[in-house]
Amino acid sequence: MKQGGQRIVNSEQLTARLLVVMLALVLVTPMVWAQGISFEDPSAAAKKTHVVLASDALEVEAGKAQDVELVFRVDEGYHINSHTPKDELLIPTVLTLSAEPGVKVVSEAYPKGALFKLDVGDGEVLDVYQGEFRVRLRVVAARGESTLMGSLRYQACDHAACFPPKTLAVRVAVQGK
Amino acid sequence: MVVALLVWAGVWNFRKRQAEMEAAKSKIVLVKDGASGPTSAEGADVSGTALMGKVAPGFTLVDLSGKKVSLADFKGHPVVVNFWATWCGPCKLEMPWFEEFYGKYKGQGLVVLGVSQDDEDTPKDKIAEAVQKIGVTYPILLPSKTIAKDYALADYLPETFYLDKNGVVVEHSLGAPPKDEMEAHVRKAMGL
Repeated sequence: MKQGGQRIVNSEQLTARLLVVMLALVLVTPMVWAQGISFEDPSAAAKKTHVVLASDALEVEAGKAQDVELVFRVDEGYHINSHTPKDELLIPTVLTLSAEPGVKVVSEAYPKGALFKLDVGDGEVLDVYQGEFRVRLRVVAARGESTLMGSLRYQACDHAACFPPKTLAVRVAVQGK
Repeated sequence: MVVALLVWAGVWNFRKRQAEMEAAKSKIVLVKDGASGPTSAEGADVSGTALMGKVAPGFTLVDLSGKKVSLADFKGHPVVVNFWATWCGPCKLEMPWFEEFYGKYKGQGLVVLGVSQDDEDTPKDKIAEAVQKIGVTYPILLPSKTIAKDYALADYLPETFYLDKNGVVVEHSLGAPPKDEMEAHVRKAMGL
């Protein structure tokens, strides 16, 4: 219907159109899903990290210095330099924790690395972390909830190529009892 | 509208699968007996391969002595453009091989350029110290974000482009390949 140059749509027509759009969405959405169409950025996979924090919660006795471990996992097929790589040009794995109310880090101790021979030429022997590794912390926490905050800087390689240094955010909930 | 969307979804899906098949084909690496196998476990990034058969993007960078070096300076020469970084162990193992090839073939015009991919704020002295330790004498060029984009570099190193005397990319490698494969690429760039 046209009135004064403008097209007037009555409520029945509007409802019918909305129903068609909804029907189309209901039909198309599962088809798109079923065909595996992804709208993700394909470069995201290439930008992925190679280390994860395996545990993000700790329970400690309040007001008492004690040792806890932060557990990290390196993706299978990759390694990262240990805290003390053999070559000073290589980037060591370093955990940096900031001062947060309710929890104090007294000291930290890194695990020893494992020897890893590069699969290039005669092969340089590196000092690395692979699989799971644990950084031991001596902490004193107040009663109640607090949070350990910081970051893990590392640089990952596979057997013949290396990725730029990356920083993993570290956030661990601490429950003082 | 529904039909149009279904057709669009089908075309999208077909094109995506075709692209994935092409990418999968390019990931297949023939490995000789005793060779070190595929050069990287995450060799899915084939972006640099897109330059194969094309004239390499030009660049002007600064070397360790502060002198400007342009790719165009080497017109008529086969050129190896090797991207590396001080923190990259495999890069430091393959660079002495490039030095060896440079010594062997520079009389026949071969040029090798090592382009650092360290952060742009990495002190030049640190890069120079690494170069001295690795023991290479060919030109080392300082980092630039632009070149990484122009060459569509992958997220990992080393990455190398082999250009013939016309500046056309005739070989490309990601990760550190076996030495004999590298020399074959060099010889191909030289037309030998």
